[in-house]
Amino acid sequence: MTHELLIEIGVEELPASFLAQGLASLQAAVERLLGEARLTYERTRPLGTPRRLALVVYGLAEHQSNLDEVVTGPPYAAAFDPDGKPKRAAEGFAKKQGVEVSALTVVDTDKGRYVAAHRREAGAPAADVLPRLLGEAVANVRFPKSMRWAEGDLAFGRPIHWLLALLDDAVVPFTFGGLVASRHTRGHRFLAPAPFELRSAGAYVDALGAAHVVVDPAARRERMREALVAAAARLGGVLAPDAFLLDECAALVEEPFVVPGAFDEAFLGLPDGVVVSVMRDHQRYFAVRARDGGPLLPAYLNVVNTARAPETIARGNDRVLRARLADARFFVDEDKERLLESRLDKLDKVVFQSKLGTVGAKIRRIERLSGWVARRSAAEAAVDEGRARLAARLCKCDLETLVVFEFPELQGEMGRWYALAEGVDPEVADAIREHYQPQGVDDAPPRGVLGAVVSVADRADTLVGCFGIGLTPTGSADPFALRRAALGLIRVALEGPIDVDLRGVFGEAYDGYEGVALDERAGVLDALDAFVRGRLRALLRSDFPVDVIEACLGAWDGGSVRDLRARLDAVAAFRAEPAFESLAVAFKRAYNITQDAVRGEVDQALLEDGAERVLAERFADVRPSLAEAEAERRYADALGIVARELREPIDRFFDDVFVMVDDARVRDNRLRLLAGIADAVNRIAHVHQLGG
Amino acid sequence: MTFQELILALERFWAERGCLIGQPYGSEVGAGTFNPHTFLRSLGPEPWNVAYVEPSRRPTDGRYGDNPNRLQHFHQYQVILKPSPIDIQELYLDSLRAIGTDPLEHDIRFVEDDWESPTLGAWGLGWQVWLDGLEISQFTYFQQCGGIDCKPISGELTYGLERIAMYLQDVDDVYALDYGPGVKYGDVYKRAEWEWSTYNFEQADVALQQRLFDDYERQVHALLGLSAERGKGGALVFDRAPLERLVLPAYDCVIKCSHYFNVLDARGAISVTERQRFIGRVRQIARAVAESWYAQREALGFPLLRDDGGRAAAQ
Repeated sequence: MTHELLIEIGVEELPASFLAQGLASLQAAVERLLGEARLTYERTRPLGTPRRLALVVYGLAEHQSNLDEVVTGPPYAAAFDPDGKPKRAAEGFAKKQGVEVSALTVVDTDKGRYVAAHRREAGAPAADVLPRLLGEAVANVRFPKSMRWAEGDLAFGRPIHWLLALLDDAVVPFTFGGLVASRHTRGHRFLAPAPFELRSAGAYVDALGAAHVVVDPAARRERMREALVAAAARLGGVLAPDAFLLDECAALVEEPFVVPGAFDEAFLGLPDGVVVSVMRDHQRYFAVRARDGGPLLPAYLNVVNTARAPETIARGNDRVLRARLADARFFVDEDKERLLESRLDKLDKVVFQSKLGTVGAKIRRIERLSGWVARRSAAEAAVDEGRARLAARLCKCDLETLVVFEFPELQGEMGRWYALAEGVDPEVADAIREHYQPQGVDDAPPRGVLGAVVSVADRADTLVGCFGIGLTPTGSADPFALRRAALGLIRVALEGPIDVDLRGVFGEAYDGYEGVALDERAGVLDALDAFVRGRLRALLRSDFPVDVIEACLGAWDGGSVRDLRARLDAVAAFRAEPAFESLAVAFKRAYNITQDAVRGEVDQALLEDGAERVLAERFADVRPSLAEAEAERRYADALGIVARELREPIDRFFDDVFVMVDDARVRDNRLRLLAGIADAVNRIAHVHQLGG
Repeated sequence: MTFQELILALERFWAERGCLIGQPYGSEVGAGTFNPHTFLRSLGPEPWNVAYVEPSRRPTDGRYGDNPNRLQHFHQYQVILKPSPIDIQELYLDSLRAIGTDPLEHDIRFVEDDWESPTLGAWGLGWQVWLDGLEISQFTYFQQCGGIDCKPISGELTYGLERIAMYLQDVDDVYALDYGPGVKYGDVYKRAEWEWSTYNFEQADVALQQRLFDDYERQVHALLGLSAERGKGGALVFDRAPLERLVLPAYDCVIKCSHYFNVLDARGAISVTERQRFIGRVRQIARAVAESWYAQREALGFPLLRDDGGRAAAQ
């Protein structure tokens, strides 16, 4: 027969992040300790609210499993002297395993004779083991930050008020921090404040439900979400989705109620982002939109813990929001008093990085670099250099505005809004917002060309500067988010409107650091090349096999990202063709045999008639078109030429011709022929790295 | 309930629960935490229960009397319960009932808000308390003060009196509050807000504030016998024995420094990099005072550590 165990730790209101981490660590600790105690169970279920951490263990065994195991210890020779007398190692091992030295046995293994201990122990009833186990589990609960209270002897996420532990219907009287677990719990702080007795572990969820506590976090979140969606519909709109806010609010209440409120329509003249941030950051209200992605309604939804007087609550919240929005309007109006560009001088006083200078200096660098990127991109997209430079000059100016100081998450968005209000070219304004993109894996790169140009320049400047002063990411430490910056650069080129010549832009960015002592140029660029290749490997792995990535990275010069992409597509397709197998074998041979060979022109006079001359002539015929296809990045065509024109002759060559003849002149000429072919193919991709 | 009735109700409530009724400190402070009733008494093992009003100044929050919610001079009601009783949240909620706010008829929530005062070298964990979305109180368990770990832990409750009064009186403009019978809050403070805003933002003599800061900082060193040398691990070195140090006057000088720093900040006279340095200087002398206070109380045998929990001395 199995049992149900419940443990509950009653606390003062835990922050949302504390609840999540506290529950996870309680669950991990209990599961680990049960395992160590040889108590089997079916599953555990974490439950909790801001005022309680709880865990249910289902299918818990009645007894510990009996212990019956043989533990291998030190080598026999290390444990006993030749006369069979135990040494320290034997005594230590026996003590650790809880057996007498005389009870140690010997086992023969492949590696020799070892000492072993046979441990046997009858399992104790779970009820006997649990009090100590649960006390230890609670001591192992971890939080982002711990605090002390009262006499200051104990540390926990928030002060502990009660402990409850039931094994079916029996109390497990464990102790922690001077408290003894009982069957008493409490309901909602305001709606059911009196302590009450819980009959059994199985009654927990329902009993708390009756006491106005929805103790299952997922159920609470879902009930809250449904109430929000329904309330939004009653207001004639839809809920603006916000996963962060859903989690946060679900962790702030024990029983969720939704109270709608309203604000003056005049505030809708503020940027949407400001209204949403004021409601979300300051008050944790949900915004309501007329339809998905549509305009905001002058209303909000407030998740509360007690809703006996919704009108009073709405009136109070309306007043708070009114004052907050009035503040925000004041900030926006103040900000509009000055042109964005006039804030540049303030950025000269903001430190970007102590060795790399101010944000103002950074802006001057990325303005120059944006001009360079724009010129280089002109062929593929119409980019106006002057507008690219303007976008770069304005891209960080909103950091000095009151609104962004108050709501940092609105950087870029406010810059765009203020720029539009000043009558700045809309594409330039869009670039101010878009140059931060992509912000993460889920975010798209800039859609506009100008945004892409500035995004590239900004990231390249940061990468070069940080690498130039040795601030390269290590293990888990990447304070300047350089991995994300490199990934962003790559994704702009792969998915955005312009290609990026990585080596070129890094070199140009390096030259822009005039007057800053960076490490030696070639070393910095090489380090960045290696770093970027690492990011590419990680990013491309979801789309291409590893050997295709390596073959293309090997042939790629570290410049254009789209060039790399073209190689990858061509090689991946080539690899799937029937001709691939025999070609790969032949080129691997050609590559291996010519690795150390001297390169040079083939001497026609030394060629033997037959397979050798045929191969040489065929290669001479296709060489120009091969070079042309490669130069135009038509890698599929290039590989097609190789497959169509060279496969057969090269196979025949290897069948008929012996390369390593004694005559050095003939041998070297053959090697020159093969090396020429191998090198031509290698410029497209390192085919010899492709697995069969 | 007028503004003054609100204060009186809180005074009565906490007096009835065993608190000393303290008084505002006679110097410019940014918050009730600066009052020695909190900053010094939360150090060391002695129990301490006190409640008081603290007129607090935050020069950068000035709005020339134009903003209905923001003031550079406002009032906190500060309660220190040391050690923090286990029912401190219930006591706090009872105090809301005492000023006519039934938690069942409102939405009251404890929302995470950790507190830190970089100048005082103090921090704690706790909440802001929301009443129908309005932040009406800060609730903090002090973990460290003047760089010294607190033990036992003080529970600090700080009520924002103007906000609570506005809520209770259902007004949107702080100046429209009834302060006392027939007198509005604006009658008492509106002109002051304009004058102080003008002073803090425009007319305060920067060189004078700068000089006062330097002079008072030097005075702290002198009054405590704080040596320029540092011991192992940066430990402070004092040339005077604990009972020869003038801890309380030195602490007043710390408060002055903190205030002149705030004025300089409002005047826009402190750059970002200088800012950190100023804060570090205040923290340093605050730490020297905290350590000296502790050493002094220890030298006196922690007089309030008695069986009656210090009540006799308090009376």
